Amino acid sequence: MKPSTTPRRPRGAAPKTPKTKSKATPSRQEPPKRRGANSQQARFSSRLRAWGRHHRAMSWDSFYRLVRHPVGNLLTMLAIAIALVLPAALWLTLDSARLLDAELDESATLTVYLQPAVDPAQAERIEQAVSAEQAVLDTRMISAEQGMAEFQRSLGLDDALAGLDDNPLPASIVVRPQDVEPAAMQQLASTLEALAGVDEVRVDLAWVERLRHLAALGRRVALALGVLFGLGVLLVVGNTIRLAVESRRREIEVVMLIGATHAFVRRPFLYSGAWYGLGGGFLALGLLGLGNHWLSLPVAALAASYGASFSLPQLDMTGATILLSCSTLLGWLGAWLAVTRHLTSIRPR
Amino acid sequence: MIAFEHVGKRYGGRFEALAHLDFRVERGEMVFLTGHSGAGKSSLLRLIMRLEKPSRGRVMVAGHDIAQLHASQVPFYRRQIGVVFQDHQLLFDRSVFHNVSLPLEIQGIEPRETARRVRAALDKVGLLHREKALPVELSGGEQQRVGIARAVVNKPSLLLADEPTGNLDPQLSADIMALFEDFNRIGTTVMIASHDLALIARLRHRILRLREGRLVADEGAV
Repeated sequence: MKPSTTPRRPRGAAPKTPKTKSKATPSRQEPPKRRGANSQQARFSSRLRAWGRHHRAMSWDSFYRLVRHPVGNLLTMLAIAIALVLPAALWLTLDSARLLDAELDESATLTVYLQPAVDPAQAERIEQAVSAEQAVLDTRMISAEQGMAEFQRSLGLDDALAGLDDNPLPASIVVRPQDVEPAAMQQLASTLEALAGVDEVRVDLAWVERLRHLAALGRRVALALGVLFGLGVLLVVGNTIRLAVESRRREIEVVMLIGATHAFVRRPFLYSGAWYGLGGGFLALGLLGLGNHWLSLPVAALAASYGASFSLPQLDMTGATILLSCSTLLGWLGAWLAVTRHLTSIRPR
Repeated sequence: MIAFEHVGKRYGGRFEALAHLDFRVERGEMVFLTGHSGAGKSSLLRLIMRLEKPSRGRVMVAGHDIAQLHASQVPFYRRQIGVVFQDHQLLFDRSVFHNVSLPLEIQGIEPRETARRVRAALDKVGLLHREKALPVELSGGEQQRVGIARAVVNKPSLLLADEPTGNLDPQLSADIMALFEDFNRIGTTVMIASHDLALIARLRHRILRLREGRLVADEGAV
């Protein structure tokens, strides 16, 4: 194709040539041993710059390699994304369950039952004493009459209760505590129980506790799934990188022959792995968004039928960042494992 | 520069590729290594490149027993040796320029300095005008010269070549050998394995003759 080659002919064509040559010539006259020593003693900072330069070059190089074969690489990323979506979705669900949990905490209360003999004026004083407690957020007084009325309303037992001569219900004070931790609530309960005129303090924590245990269980399941699917990502990336290493085997052999370190050989593959991970992470975000969109309508309809409004949890900025960095790290790690395992089998011929 | 001390190399326990090798190559010497194929020329070069360790004896290069080098030091050792391969070992998806710049890239030499040195090396082998070509666009002789440029771009103190004129016609072979002599003239120690007896006899350098893994003649030593 190109004109065949007597070395001298096209020289004039390249304007750079004479300059390059005149510069190069003097250094060639140095004794050979010195040259080796000089290049060995490159200063630390210049070595650091070289290192940074190679990192930059390899990150772009591996990126271009990805872009050059979009379909195959997109499939790899999709496999990573699918492996990430399930644990991420579960995590989101738990996150919303934790929100729910917080709302429940808000409704966590203690009920202080007063002695039947206590009259309304005394009850008022007791309520003030209860409000004065540090651990108490606010209080609501339910007088004996109000209590009876509520009881009747909720049970529909008007007639039966109307037969009673006097009201058997004591006045009570509903207390919202500052701290809804079980231990703190128990402690508050015993403090309030010691007040004069207080008959009994009820703390109903069993169902809150149950929900907590359920959340803990869910968290563990999510963690186990996360680990399993994380391993899945490692395998996907590892396998892809293994093939990439195999297809560049000759190149690796050559650069090792001329003095490349393992780190140098590994670098482009590590970047490929990280890119796969990052791409998979973005796809996973997309899938989560898609799923959210897909489910939001029926979920809203369902919630509305219960007279509630509920929207599916969305991954916030922090969550997205965590997902992306985890997937990138997993991709990098998968590549590292694959290359390191594979490099030992590549020996220059 | 190179000293073999009672070196032997066996493969797979039985086959003795090299045995009882004892010789020295001084700094700045140019030495031919000859013998029939299978006589152990390549094995000997592989020992110097530390692609393999000797089964017996010591290989000293620049005063160091290279078998003692830790695996992590080997890359840095190899950077001090330029090697020209019979099959060039060029990367076919990279231009001539990038093939030659590879050793400098590996060492992290600055891009401007790299370009300068690559062009100097290419100029030396007469291929400056082909720097943008891909290796497949070059003839066999040109590919070999790219290989030589890559071997010397690093200004190594030791230059090894394994059958560098293997597939070339006599005129091209003579040109290539003349190039090696040029490098030798500026102080590089050069060791060339070749079975082109007629050519190397004309060049009047020291010749180490191998037969079945043994050194049978050491002619023309200085």
